[in-house]
Amino acid sequence: MFKILIVEDDDALREQLEIGLMASGFEVCYAATGLEAVPAFEKHKPDLILLDLMLPGKNGIEICSEIRRSSGVPIIMLTARTDDSDMIRGLEAGADDYVTKPYKIEVLVSRIKARLRPPKEVLHPIIKIGPVEMDTLSHEVRKGDKKIALTPLEFKLLLTLASHPNEVFSREMLLEQVWEYTYKADTRLVNVHVQRLRSKIEDDQEDPKLVLTVRGWGYKAGPE
Amino acid sequence: MIFSRISKAALDRFRSSLQIRAVVYTVALSGTALIILGGVLSVSIGNGLFSRKTEQAVIESNRAKFTVSRLFEGVSGQGLSGLQQVLGEVVPELESIGVSQTRQVAFLHSATQPNPKNLPSPTTAGMDLSVITPDFRALVTNEVGVQSRTVQVLRSGESTPAVLIGQKFTLPGGHNYEMYLVYDMYNEQQSLVFVQRTLVLGGLITLMIIGFFSFLVTSWLVRPVQEAADASEILANGDLDRRLAVRGSDVAAVLATSFNHMADSLQEKIKAMDELSKMQQRFVSDVSHELRTPLTTMKLAADYLYGNQDGLPEFTQRSIVNLHGQMDRFDILLADLLEISRYDADGVEPAFDVHDLNGIVGVCLAAIQPFADSKNVYLEADIPSGSVQCEVDSRRIERILNNLLTNAIEHGEGKPVVIRVAQNDKAVAVSVTDHGIGMNKQELSHAFERFWRADPSRKRTTGGTGLGLAISFEDAQLHLGQLEVTAEPGVGACFRLTIPKRHDITAYESPLPLAVDNA
Repeated sequence: MFKILIVEDDDALREQLEIGLMASGFEVCYAATGLEAVPAFEKHKPDLILLDLMLPGKNGIEICSEIRRSSGVPIIMLTARTDDSDMIRGLEAGADDYVTKPYKIEVLVSRIKARLRPPKEVLHPIIKIGPVEMDTLSHEVRKGDKKIALTPLEFKLLLTLASHPNEVFSREMLLEQVWEYTYKADTRLVNVHVQRLRSKIEDDQEDPKLVLTVRGWGYKAGPE
Repeated sequence: MIFSRISKAALDRFRSSLQIRAVVYTVALSGTALIILGGVLSVSIGNGLFSRKTEQAVIESNRAKFTVSRLFEGVSGQGLSGLQQVLGEVVPELESIGVSQTRQVAFLHSATQPNPKNLPSPTTAGMDLSVITPDFRALVTNEVGVQSRTVQVLRSGESTPAVLIGQKFTLPGGHNYEMYLVYDMYNEQQSLVFVQRTLVLGGLITLMIIGFFSFLVTSWLVRPVQEAADASEILANGDLDRRLAVRGSDVAAVLATSFNHMADSLQEKIKAMDELSKMQQRFVSDVSHELRTPLTTMKLAADYLYGNQDGLPEFTQRSIVNLHGQMDRFDILLADLLEISRYDADGVEPAFDVHDLNGIVGVCLAAIQPFADSKNVYLEADIPSGSVQCEVDSRRIERILNNLLTNAIEHGEGKPVVIRVAQNDKAVAVSVTDHGIGMNKQELSHAFERFWRADPSRKRTTGGTGLGLAISFEDAQLHLGQLEVTAEPGVGACFRLTIPKRHDITAYESPLPLAVDNA
């Protein structure tokens, strides 16, 4: 049973979320303020975090970057603001996905399940892309002798690209295959996470050699 | 043609420039004054010259009489021959008197007294005797003393004014004679012409100087007015910070001060209204945002109840279904409110890309088909083959079309709804035509207003928010396109969306007609 940490300051909403998630078969724990969020994460070791962006004490973006320093746990932002700059900053701070209020519990649950699902089995246990080696069984990534810590989402993104080297993936395809969106979603999710991925695996982020942009189309795994 | 065009341009300039008008009027009025003054001067100078000449002539004439009298003093005893001899000396004698060189003399025997001895009437050689008219002779004969009159004589072929002096004279022996002296005023005339020329030239120069000065003065006077006019124009174009410089304390300064005062209060009012409007927009935005958290809770609760209603009493189940349905409606309304407040706050970030309009229309038709079926409305699509490429935010175009189709089906009274797509080299267009209740002119003018409903008493079946067309209108404008509508009561309504193919195209015509009865 997956354990989900809800960070939400509105008591009624949090309780209703708990009911909905428990009814969908998840174990739930919560933090009611921004300051309680990181201690609650350390204490409960959840499999996924639902994070409200507007929190008293410490805002969601700070919490996100703090957790990302030590963990790749999937984080889904719950945001009332369709104000995009907050949402983009949340993604840049390491959140994997976002859901805007008001949402349906089915939508939220499908987003959670997509994040908790392990990547599909691939034929070769070891996948190479340039100097980077991916172990699909242990989910370890190495570049030379150095171990690289990727979040599950980043791992899935790189794996999707690297399994089909030199094949171009449009942002929509990546949203479908990595984020498991069935209908059109925000392609900026892809842009932000490709940037994060590059910052971890590329020698020079400004001159990427491994995850290449194909202008007008999308991305592909290099090198040629 | 060219002439009339130039004169028309000059006339326009004259009408449009206060300054030119002022200068022209000043010059015209001063010119009139100068002409009058010059005329008066010229006449009075002429009169002065001529009357002095006349006076002089009269004096000389008296002297001449005295001279002639002396000539005849000694002849009383010498008889006729002596008289004739002296008569011969009279003219040369008279010609040499005084200072006036140009003098003609006539010493005529009276016309009324018989002249049996045939006494001569000597005159200056070549003298034109016609200036001594019979009526003047009669005057001289009948009146006592010296008579004078102004006449015209010929001098070297030119007509010149002259003074004619006449007085009667009785010679010894009782012979009546008349003595005429003609002083021509050629020199005086020349002086007058010179004076007149000087006056005209001086007048012209004065007029030019007046024109120049009035130009300077008016430009100095007009400048503050012009500045105020320029500043008003700038103010009207939206630069509310524009003010005039206040110099001195004259009427121009008062104008500048009042203008600045007006601009200040205008700016304050506009700022206040701006702030009010911003506050209102922010209020709508904030309220919408604040509503989202409780709405989410209510929606989650309603969803949960909806999914777990089995086994509950029937009334409870009905209530849950109603609650669930209205939560969705609330959700849509809030989403629309947020969207419109985003437009109000200029916070819209469209995602433009090249799309096939046929594809977008296809997606929308497929999505709306179940609703059309439920209303028994036949959707007739008239879509060109091939692709209709355009640079759009596909989600917004889908939203517009969904809106138009929903409205058409709702108001179409079961009659077919026609969807057309067309393109020309600059623009693409979609039109949605229904043949239902239509709208009258007054309703048409409100069609894109927020929360406006064509018929308030009409039952709403789809739970639209009243913001749909307002958002669609904004969406169309975001694409630099146009959403237009035409309708006739009882005939139907036609909505047409036209969008330029690329954003650098500003002038375009819609490839589709905007008309209802083109089914």
